[in-house]
Amino acid sequence: MMAVPPWLDDLLWTYQNLIHSLGINGLLALSMYVVLAVGQLSLGQAAFMGLGAYGSALLTLKLHWPFWVVLPASCVAPAMFALAVGVPTLRLSGVYLAIATIGLGEVLRAVYLNIDLFGGALGLSGIPARAETWMIYGLLAAAVIVLWLIGRSRIGRAMEAMREDETAAQVMGVDIRRYRMGALLASALLAGIAGALGAHVSSFIGPNEYGFQPAVTILSFALLGGIGTPLAPVLGAAVLTLLPEALRGFSDLRLVFNGVIIVLAVLFLPNGVFAWRMRRRAA
Amino acid sequence: MTWLLETTGLTRRFAGLVAVDGVDLRVAQGGIHAVIGPNGAGKTTLFNLISGLIVPSAGTIRFAGTDVTRLPPDRRAALGMGRTFQNIRVFGAMTVLENVLTGLHARTAPDLLGTGLLGTGLLGTVLRLPRFRAAEREAVARARAALDLVGLGAQAETRAAALSYGDQRRLEIARAMAPEPRLLLLDEPAAGMNPAETAALGALVRRLGGLGTTILLVEHDMGFVMGISDAVTVLNFGRRILDGPPEAVRQSPVVIEAYLGQKVAARLAKSAP
Repeated sequence: MMAVPPWLDDLLWTYQNLIHSLGINGLLALSMYVVLAVGQLSLGQAAFMGLGAYGSALLTLKLHWPFWVVLPASCVAPAMFALAVGVPTLRLSGVYLAIATIGLGEVLRAVYLNIDLFGGALGLSGIPARAETWMIYGLLAAAVIVLWLIGRSRIGRAMEAMREDETAAQVMGVDIRRYRMGALLASALLAGIAGALGAHVSSFIGPNEYGFQPAVTILSFALLGGIGTPLAPVLGAAVLTLLPEALRGFSDLRLVFNGVIIVLAVLFLPNGVFAWRMRRRAA
Repeated sequence: MTWLLETTGLTRRFAGLVAVDGVDLRVAQGGIHAVIGPNGAGKTTLFNLISGLIVPSAGTIRFAGTDVTRLPPDRRAALGMGRTFQNIRVFGAMTVLENVLTGLHARTAPDLLGTGLLGTGLLGTVLRLPRFRAAEREAVARARAALDLVGLGAQAETRAAALSYGDQRRLEIARAMAPEPRLLLLDEPAAGMNPAETAALGALVRRLGGLGTTILLVEHDMGFVMGISDAVTVLNFGRRILDGPPEAVRQSPVVIEAYLGQKVAARLAKSAP
């Protein structure tokens, strides 16, 4: 490891939790971005994250798998649930996916609460801190780059076309069901990884961390940042993660501030605060 | 004779209304075929059935030798069917060029994951493999050619929503023509255009017909249709009432009656020499 000056070391140590949250919330924001980018609304990101967190924690605690195997394995359960929810609902247009994913989150919360394997209301504790800061930021950077490259291609054009006008996109030859399913799967993978990383930095996970409220918070990352580029929701997540820290003095009013900012952003900046639009071609 | 497009007994009911009622439409390869009829005759419903946006209540659709009755719109596009819309549907936030590139979707990689490791699918896209870059370059060249064809070459980098109404119509045509479809469906292309724009559009449509694409168009403007069509089908109340070359259709009493009503048609027939 490179030598780090003592003052930076102190800073990193003091703000370690915040630095980890920034990166993990960035991944969650991207997980919301990929679904919104094809014009769908899913509120299942927190549920997928929970599946990744519980799954990875159990693999580590019960089976003692090494982390480099646990991390990819943590995507399996979210992907399977994404297929199970997506196949029946993505045939339909409208809010069915949103409703089904809210339902998924609540069902899973009840499962975590009531089945001993998941630790009930106490959750799972004593998870070793195996996720390093560089892993979180490395995966975040990789996800942004991959999504950026996809955005500037035929696939990105098809996604934007779906968002603007699904009928016209279909007539251009875009298989919209396949794209919706692909987006939901990508979303589940990103959230699953974020969940696994989160579980392995915080040592404890509980059922309420993956309920409806975190789902809405993840949505607000993308609403505030916008979805013009993959970087926009990540920046939105950064703002909404730092804001409660900056407003720490106001304690109880923090959530109110958050809410007001989201309402203002939706009303006055419908394309988000970071509303630049990316070019849609590579050549 | 084999037809490029052939519908048999095509029917679509909306609750109590029969919008398209047992239509047999045959479109020959090559040339310009027009579907005319008064308001509410079922022209746009017929187009939506042919392009796959709605499912027929009964009947079949064969296109280029394939039964496409149950195929979704994107599969029909892949078989070489393109269309424009009566109420313009350009992708407003995209540039003009990006709109046309999107129109080429069916012409490039066949699916999301692509054709193996060296394909233009997901892996080829992320790794910017040579095949991906070549496909992208070719698409841009095709798109520019399509824009030049409709006279929008200079506006390639303009946001589509910023174009004038007439130019947005031209953009829709370029977007539909870029993949060189076998059949191009034009849904009221002259709607909302002034006489000069309509004349220019007529010249453009004739030019497109000369490129080897068969054109099926729905139109209100009789002058426009009669000037450019090789064959005309007349619909009224969802039924096909006449088929034939434009001259025959123009003089047909059935058509005059459909457009102007029985009384006027009778009066015209009496006053005719």
